[in-house]
Amino acid sequence: MTPRVDLKEFLSAYVAEVDEQLQAANAKLLEVEASSHAGHANPRSVRDLFRALHTVKGLSAMVGVEPAVAIAHRMETVLRVADTAGGPVALSSVDTLLQAIREIELRVREVSQGKEPSPAPRAILDALDKLDLSSPLSTRGPATALDLDPAVASKLAPFELDLLSAGVRNGRRALRADFSPSPAKAERGFSINTVRERVGSVAEIVKVVPVAVPPTDEAPGALSFAILLLTSASDEEIANAVGIAPESLQVVMPATPTLESATPPPVVAAGDDDLEPLSHRRNIVRVEVSRLDDAMEHLSTLIVTRSRLSRAIAELTSTGANTRALAEIMRDNARQLRDLRAAILRVRMVPVSEVLERIPLLLRGLRRESGKQVRLELDAGNAELDKGVAERLFPAIVHLVRNAVDHAIEAPADRTRAGKPAEGTLRIQCFAQSNTRLELTVSDDGSGVDRASVARRVGRDLATDAALLDALCRAGLSTRDQATTTSGRGMGMDIVKRIVVDQLGGELAMKTAAGVGTTFTLRVPLTISIVDAFTIERHKQRFVVPVSMVEEIFEIEPAAVRFGPSRGMAEGSRAGIVERRGEAVPLVDLAWSLRLAGVGVAPRQAILVRRGGEPTAFGLDRVIGQQEAVVRPLIDPLVQAPGIAGATDLGDGKPTLVLDLVALGGTLAARDGERAA
Amino acid sequence: MTNLTRYGAPAEGQSAGTLHVVFKVAQSEYLLPSETVLQMESFSGATPVPGAPSYVIGIVQIRGRVVPVVDLRLRFGAGVGETVLDNRIVVGQYGDRVVGLLVDSAREVVKVTAAQLKPPPPILNHQASGFVKAVVQVGSRVMMLVDFARVIGEEPLHGVD
Repeated sequence: MTPRVDLKEFLSAYVAEVDEQLQAANAKLLEVEASSHAGHANPRSVRDLFRALHTVKGLSAMVGVEPAVAIAHRMETVLRVADTAGGPVALSSVDTLLQAIREIELRVREVSQGKEPSPAPRAILDALDKLDLSSPLSTRGPATALDLDPAVASKLAPFELDLLSAGVRNGRRALRADFSPSPAKAERGFSINTVRERVGSVAEIVKVVPVAVPPTDEAPGALSFAILLLTSASDEEIANAVGIAPESLQVVMPATPTLESATPPPVVAAGDDDLEPLSHRRNIVRVEVSRLDDAMEHLSTLIVTRSRLSRAIAELTSTGANTRALAEIMRDNARQLRDLRAAILRVRMVPVSEVLERIPLLLRGLRRESGKQVRLELDAGNAELDKGVAERLFPAIVHLVRNAVDHAIEAPADRTRAGKPAEGTLRIQCFAQSNTRLELTVSDDGSGVDRASVARRVGRDLATDAALLDALCRAGLSTRDQATTTSGRGMGMDIVKRIVVDQLGGELAMKTAAGVGTTFTLRVPLTISIVDAFTIERHKQRFVVPVSMVEEIFEIEPAAVRFGPSRGMAEGSRAGIVERRGEAVPLVDLAWSLRLAGVGVAPRQAILVRRGGEPTAFGLDRVIGQQEAVVRPLIDPLVQAPGIAGATDLGDGKPTLVLDLVALGGTLAARDGERAA
Repeated sequence: MTNLTRYGAPAEGQSAGTLHVVFKVAQSEYLLPSETVLQMESFSGATPVPGAPSYVIGIVQIRGRVVPVVDLRLRFGAGVGETVLDNRIVVGQYGDRVVGLLVDSAREVVKVTAAQLKPPPPILNHQASGFVKAVVQVGSRVMMLVDFARVIGEEPLHGVD
């Protein structure tokens, strides 16, 4: 099909837009489900859902993705009915609708991969058709037949009437219970206030209308309250709550039999002109990330050019030329570049709440697979994150959520036995820690990590949470013997660590308490790629170290370095100890750490970094200067090495390695044996 | 008359062949299909990457892109060669990966037909750890078609690495 090739440009826009609409549809559907659970209709979300699918259908028709059109069309039909009826959606239909969204997603993915979309599965089309005919989705019709004496009925506001009819359409019963206060009842604990409270726990009180009645023994104050309520509870429960006989309850609005209302109400709501796409917000432009990357790439070359320029000026200055004016221009230029960079970075920022949008859907699936009850608390606030970082970070969050449900949160029965609520809580919180870092926590109130079992596995003591986390992050470690469908083998913590620490240059921490729960804290940079960096030199080789990793730089006083017993190691490979601010700090030669060729003098300066609170100082010849560096990650497997974060161009057209001294420090302990050899 | 044809002057009846880049490593001539080769660059040193395999001489920057460079002398077990002006980096592409091969020289592009490609003799194959995909014999010249994917470690090697 040739037009598809011609539409390539448009296709990626199609995929992006549809993807967004499907995400929105998923989210709305889950909202609808939650409302249905709570017994309410959720007309707003149903409307949004309808709009999203309407947009999907329209876009798919434009591009000719017929299977998506077919599925979306049927969903639309089902939802149109629900929308018209004021939003009731049967719980049983949610699965089918989710599955249908998934099927559309699959087809869109195929299109994005340049494949022909596979036909819409008959099963899902049939299931959708059936929904339309038989589910309570299609029950509709205004149930306004109010069976209530006019004195009370006249007190009802229109919205209260609506509430009642919506409730009835939704399958609840609209009842009237009369309560007349008396001293005798008050003695038994029935006052209008306690009755309100008790009824409120088994029903939704729509209105309480005071009614004057002839004084009787039952109502000595000549006053009665007509309580109008919606409930799914039995007559007995309601009557008990009010302290009256079940027989005295009145049904005020008959349940409407389903397909009876002969004339369906006109479909005003779903008129097409009313259907703006969900994402439609004024003054917002959708931009592909690759275009932003382009802009960033151009900026990167500008920064490299600037480095060259300042080199040239430095050379000029060294010949004795007056370069003051140039220096001033360079300062302006630096500021402008910084502003431009900030502006581009801002464009790349996405709200974290958007990143976490898929989590509820994920959790829904996990709940179902595991049979556990888990409540999600999401609090992303206004935090924003670079799109690139967000994309990398998301799989780590998914891993942690899976682990929490699969390994940490106990089965409802076990939780009850342990004195916890049957429903577990998974909390994801996030806030910007500073202008450069974001902190995200994933906590559960589950069983905590089984310290003893992990210790047995790795064969050593794990007294601290840090040591425990370290052990968990070893590839292939699993505290479970059996693979489970959700988490597979192992806990995937090595993946989490690789993403957070190795790929994003962030930190990963854990707090766990047996029986109480576990909290993972992820601290990641808001953006990557351009960093403030020190240029350093050792054995005539230059390296770049991000300023953010460096705690301090200090001069090494040779006389103050202490060497312990050295097992006959070569000079440069001995780690010394220096004292910094009352702390004993190991000092290792950067040349040895990186296995640099060449022999030189002992290091004269040192850079101090911290890894999980533990300091390490790296000895080097000198720190040459500080500048902005564009970090290009070294992604080719041939050049992926611990401690190497990437490469940068300092203006000489040659790559200079960007060091991750924190990670490098972590590899040194493992080389202990080699040092002894 | 040789079966080899310089690029730009295809001999008659040779149009069925595909273009290959010829390069020299330690006296021997090797070939890479031209569709694998992105470009050829002169070599003026690479930045070593600590921790990378020993045959990776380092990284270079080519048109804004950071590219790892495999020293083919080291990779092929031919010992360290001198750095001379003739040294070239043959930049190849395999899937998403772009890797440079440091060779002694690279000057020629030839057309090779499928019929000219012969499987390498088993003894050579074993010795060459699978780096040689085929042998091309043309008159007195013997050239070896390099398995780029294996050279850059994409597929497991036969025998010892």
